[in-house]
Amino acid sequence: MREEIHGRSKSTWLWKVLCLSLLVFLSSAASYGAIDNVQVSDNDEGKQFDARSVIIDHVLDSYEWHLLDIGEKDITIHLPVILFYESSLYVFSSRRFEHGEASHKNFAIADEGRRKGRVIRVLDDGQTPDPEAATIYDLSMTKTVLAVFIASFLLCWLFVSVGKKYRGADVYSTPKGLPLLFEPLILFVRDQIAILAIGPDRYQRFMPYLLTAFFFIFFNNLLGLVPFFPGGVNITGNISVTFVLAMFTFFFTHWYANKHYWKQMFNMPGVPVFLKFPVPILPLVEVMGAFIKPFTLMIRLFANMTAGHMVILSLTSLIFVLGSVSALIGYSVSPLTVLFLVFLNFLKILVSFLQAYIFTLFSAFFFGMAVPKGAH
Amino acid sequence: MELLMPGLGLIFWMTIAFAVVLYILKKYAWQPILQILNAREKELAKSFSDAKHIEYEMSQLDVAKSKKIAEAEKSYKEIVAKAEADADLIIEEAKQKAREEAQEIGEKAEEMILQYKKEAYSQIKEQLSSLSLELAEQVLLEEFSDRGRNRQYVSKLLDKMNVN
Repeated sequence: MREEIHGRSKSTWLWKVLCLSLLVFLSSAASYGAIDNVQVSDNDEGKQFDARSVIIDHVLDSYEWHLLDIGEKDITIHLPVILFYESSLYVFSSRRFEHGEASHKNFAIADEGRRKGRVIRVLDDGQTPDPEAATIYDLSMTKTVLAVFIASFLLCWLFVSVGKKYRGADVYSTPKGLPLLFEPLILFVRDQIAILAIGPDRYQRFMPYLLTAFFFIFFNNLLGLVPFFPGGVNITGNISVTFVLAMFTFFFTHWYANKHYWKQMFNMPGVPVFLKFPVPILPLVEVMGAFIKPFTLMIRLFANMTAGHMVILSLTSLIFVLGSVSALIGYSVSPLTVLFLVFLNFLKILVSFLQAYIFTLFSAFFFGMAVPKGAH
Repeated sequence: MELLMPGLGLIFWMTIAFAVVLYILKKYAWQPILQILNAREKELAKSFSDAKHIEYEMSQLDVAKSKKIAEAEKSYKEIVAKAEADADLIIEEAKQKAREEAQEIGEKAEEMILQYKKEAYSQIKEQLSSLSLELAEQVLLEEFSDRGRNRQYVSKLLDKMNVN
């Protein structure tokens, strides 16, 4: 029996090596393509490789979605810019900005300052920021927004099709196909996160949010690792996205909080009065804590995912930085870097799961704190 | 766009997207899935406890069965013993009866023998007496035929008396 398995694994070993090599080749090729493009479009010299701008540009949001370059032809999705300015609506394609070079209707992308990379009001020369400009409400469909929409659609499609198999299913039926893949994860979220952190009698109402948050983060983390469209966007490493997720946790925490929670916050039982009156030290700490908890969620997810993207991009850039010094060094270093990149990608898969788990677990802990039994 | 600055547009769209995803998944995915999972777990727990219960009942049945068997064995032995005793008694009784009957028969036979004996005796006596009488008659007749001699005898006898 054991011999047989051993023999089979030997015969498939070659295939595994081939597939892995292909994967390495594809990812390195994709990285190469991405960086090569930046080199051409962003750097005027076209020779000096600027790793910093490559990494930062990749990690950040953008008004256009650069897909790839085929020779001189560059394939970019120009996303719509939607602005509310002085109670009027402006909708136009980001093509008008010509990769940030031009202005349109006195709007341009800032090169520096507090709103660097975002749309600002400029004077008629198309460059100088308008000092008397009112607030711009920028609701543009950026790269990250589109990626979020695509990911949301895929997520809904995936799980609705899973849910369909469960609707009216026989209790004794064994899960097959997609349900077989996701049921352990769903059970993991239920047993190891919700029941563990909230308690077996009160976890039910939080399940939809916890499951959605877990799979949304996990799915987007994994999608961020895919180097080509619609992946490769640093969704969960964007602070706005993690901010919204943390706000949902904050909202559900306080929406479902019971009277013991509020009592604990403003009038903690069992502590000396001088901590609460006349100077409300403890309530102040508690109220701050209520905001700091989701804040930590936001920062943790954002920092972990962004750092992961940055490390992978830095390593990829290393090839080109060294290559710009000497082609020989670049080529000789690249196999090693690519191998390390493969290792890092596996690590990122682990981190993707881990960060989704941590975000969901901590959310569940906050929910658990919001619905204490009040026995003490 | 700066790394640490949340953007209004992205927050707006992300909120909408996530809320929609949450709603759709809650209604079309999590509810049916969790419902089935919970139902399955309940069913499993129920089956398990049922099995446990049945196992317990089976063991109880086993105990009852062995108890019944022991009881049956006991009563069987009792019945056999009783039957044996009864049989002994019956045999004893029969023997007794037979003995008594035999004795009775013996007694009757003895009685009858005695009676027959008596009858035989009396018949013999009768026949003997009549026979002796006949004989005596013959003798007497014989004796009386010779008169001379009788006279002699009588005179002899009278002589004897005269002596006295």
